[in-house]
Amino acid sequence: MDERLMMSDLSRRDLLKLGSAAAMVGASAQVLDLARPAPAAAQTPKRGGTFHLRSHVQPPHFDPHAILAFSTMIPLSFAYSRLVKVKAGASVVPGTQQVEPDLAESWTQPNETTYIFKLKKGVRWHNKPPVNGRELTADDVKFTYERYLATTNPNRGTLEALDKIEVMDKHTIKFTMKEPFAWFVDALASTSTWIVAKECVEKFGDLKKPESVIGTGPWMLERYEPGTRMSFVRNPSYFVPGLPYVDNVEITIDIDPASGFAAFLAGKYDFGPEYGMVVRRSDLDVAKQRKPKLQTKDYIVVFGGITWLKLDQEPFKDIRVRRAMGMAASWREVLETNAWSLGHGVPNTAVPAALKEWALPVDQLSADGRRLYEQDTAGAKRLLAEAGFPSGIKFPLETTPGYGPDYVDAVQIGLKNWKAAGIDAELKMKEYGAFISSTIFGKFDKVGSGLFGAWTDPDSYLYRYYMPGQPLNAAGVNDPKLADMVKLQRRTFDVAKRKDIIYDIQRYVAQQAYILFGPSVSAVAAWEPYVKNFGPNIGHDYGGRMMAAWLDK
Amino acid sequence: MKKYVLRRLLVAIPSLLIASVIVFSLPRLLPGDVVQLMLEEKAYGKDLEELRAKMGLNRPFYVQYWEWLGKVVQGDLGESLWTRRPVVEELLRRLPVSMELGLLALFFAIVIALPIGVLAAVRQDSVSDFVARSLAILGLSVPGFWIATLVILLPAIWWGWSPPIQFTEFSKDKWAHLSQFLLPAFILGIASAAAIMRLTRAMLLEVLRQDYVRTAWAKGLRESVVVAKHSLKNAIIPVVTVLGIQIAQILGGTVIFEQIFGLPGMGRFLFDAINQRDYPVIQGVNLIIVSVVVGMNLLVDATYAFLDPRIRY
Repeated sequence: MDERLMMSDLSRRDLLKLGSAAAMVGASAQVLDLARPAPAAAQTPKRGGTFHLRSHVQPPHFDPHAILAFSTMIPLSFAYSRLVKVKAGASVVPGTQQVEPDLAESWTQPNETTYIFKLKKGVRWHNKPPVNGRELTADDVKFTYERYLATTNPNRGTLEALDKIEVMDKHTIKFTMKEPFAWFVDALASTSTWIVAKECVEKFGDLKKPESVIGTGPWMLERYEPGTRMSFVRNPSYFVPGLPYVDNVEITIDIDPASGFAAFLAGKYDFGPEYGMVVRRSDLDVAKQRKPKLQTKDYIVVFGGITWLKLDQEPFKDIRVRRAMGMAASWREVLETNAWSLGHGVPNTAVPAALKEWALPVDQLSADGRRLYEQDTAGAKRLLAEAGFPSGIKFPLETTPGYGPDYVDAVQIGLKNWKAAGIDAELKMKEYGAFISSTIFGKFDKVGSGLFGAWTDPDSYLYRYYMPGQPLNAAGVNDPKLADMVKLQRRTFDVAKRKDIIYDIQRYVAQQAYILFGPSVSAVAAWEPYVKNFGPNIGHDYGGRMMAAWLDK
Repeated sequence: MKKYVLRRLLVAIPSLLIASVIVFSLPRLLPGDVVQLMLEEKAYGKDLEELRAKMGLNRPFYVQYWEWLGKVVQGDLGESLWTRRPVVEELLRRLPVSMELGLLALFFAIVIALPIGVLAAVRQDSVSDFVARSLAILGLSVPGFWIATLVILLPAIWWGWSPPIQFTEFSKDKWAHLSQFLLPAFILGIASAAAIMRLTRAMLLEVLRQDYVRTAWAKGLRESVVVAKHSLKNAIIPVVTVLGIQIAQILGGTVIFEQIFGLPGMGRFLFDAINQRDYPVIQGVNLIIVSVVVGMNLLVDATYAFLDPRIRY
């Protein structure tokens, strides 16, 4: 599933704190139930009540076609719909992204570059001016995607393979691709592809203002107080009869983590207070003491550390130097010292371990690839000596304190382990805004380090980080063999075959050590015992997950 | 007095003008502009230029500055580059929150500091003086955000209680509104109280050793009259000066406290704006802060004349 969800300056930093247990180092994804929720599916859903959630950031604005911020996409997930969505509910295994119809009734693919979608009939917009509850049509879908592909939409890369959109009739729409793109349907389930109404854009000029949040989704935005709260009420005309179960959703914008946790302990939030409904492991004992029946589930977050080495510069042209840097690092130590994980987590290859259907466990890498994940200081020194650096190497390392103290701690651990192997990195901290507008695009001297984890599909990580010419190819990877493999997986519709190619890519890039990856935290999602049929997952589709859930107080 | 205030007001104009140049130019010197942050990972050269032109950010610096200044004098601080909401509208909503927090903190600082400072001076080297001085050192050295975090977390862990999480407007519930300010204002006021208390004590001790005070004692005046009427009024002048400085410090402190206690004031607004390079917001908020500080200091200066009749302008 391709959920190309990215973050803005502020949002990226806050969101990626979850992944900050990963800085300099490069298993298998695992999902462990700590306290299995009751088999909710067997219970009868109840109507009514209010979900109380915490958001640690406020949305910069509400226009999904003018921002990357998850803090915008989360509230929009309550009010809007898209053609297809990701399955939600207690039975869903976190890290899986099974696509199912949302506004679409069905779809067909007559050939490799054509998709025809049939829309559900009788879907109505929220009953608010200027749309006033009229029926959704294929013209709305065409308008949305044409607007989506405007140059000022930072998300447009998600659908950049799209060539033509044609309305066949009121409820049928045809998409023609520039070239075969196997991830297209997954891309349509991204939480940036909300279907919007033309009248709103015409009336408000754009969709930034809260009053322009008019969708076809399960709840309607009733009230927005910047920096304080967002209140949603149930959409009585929602196109799925009986849904949503809960009448109101109250999102409190509560920036301070201590305040958020205290409010959670005091019963003011129904879900874990951190991003993804998570409680930090360091807080978990206290939370369970206070709430003995708290439901919890472990899941691997999609975020982790990433280190780019300038491949066109010495000494990083030499594969032995790159491998030595991987071998000198310790992903275990990073996880052990992190408050989110307290040792729980997994190492990442080029595809984050959280994407459990696509990530290759480390033990299935080649021998050279595996060595990157087994700390070997002596081996790293030996490799450096073989590369002509018997007394070690020294270089500047650019990163940012903007991801938070946990991240900076992880960076320090990386530096310490490198130092032990004779790799002396001089830390250059950049202010966060400067970092994300320069370093992540490769504007650094030798080595840059940050966090990855903006997307929930494997293609984005491979295409954006390894394809020549892509803005996020910060290391400057230019390997024709790898580029061919990445293109091939994009054109391979057979899922099993595509998976094999993606596995091969992960083996290959680990062997080449083009980019070094840190581990991802195994976080603990938590929710009150009276919340039923809720299942945590990666991605920002809070609305989708809440729609499947109900309150049984 | 009027002449003095007028003169000070005139002097404030160039100060504000200089401040306006600084608040306009400094955010633009930060690496990474608003357009890069908006487009982030899709920040291709052509797109950047297109969006910059659309926002009017490709024009020369002085052109943008004059245009902004022209609007400012008309009371228009522009609109947020991200939300398109008028900055004035946001400030009108947020400024009262910060001011209320700041003024309440100042109130607590004065209410705590002055009596304790006076008591410590009058009972110099007694147990109460020792306790007061120790508390002052503690107040100065323990960070306010740490106290605030404990005050929030411990009751939640022990009793499952936490302060209100959603801001309530005064018009909706007066008591709920006020109660959410009490805790942060009290903690925010502690550090200032400690500084003011120490200064009050030191100044009062100095005054209490003056000849005219000895004369007052010799005349058989009561302690309360000697201290309150003859000594405190003179000792308080430097304290008032420090209060002016404390206002600026308290306003700075509101950034963290607004965040911890979920108060939608200017501090967090400014912090987010800096991260997002939202120039009109940064400029607007800073200009307001500068104006408030200048205004408060003007008020402090004017207070001198009231406190010390010898001071003439």
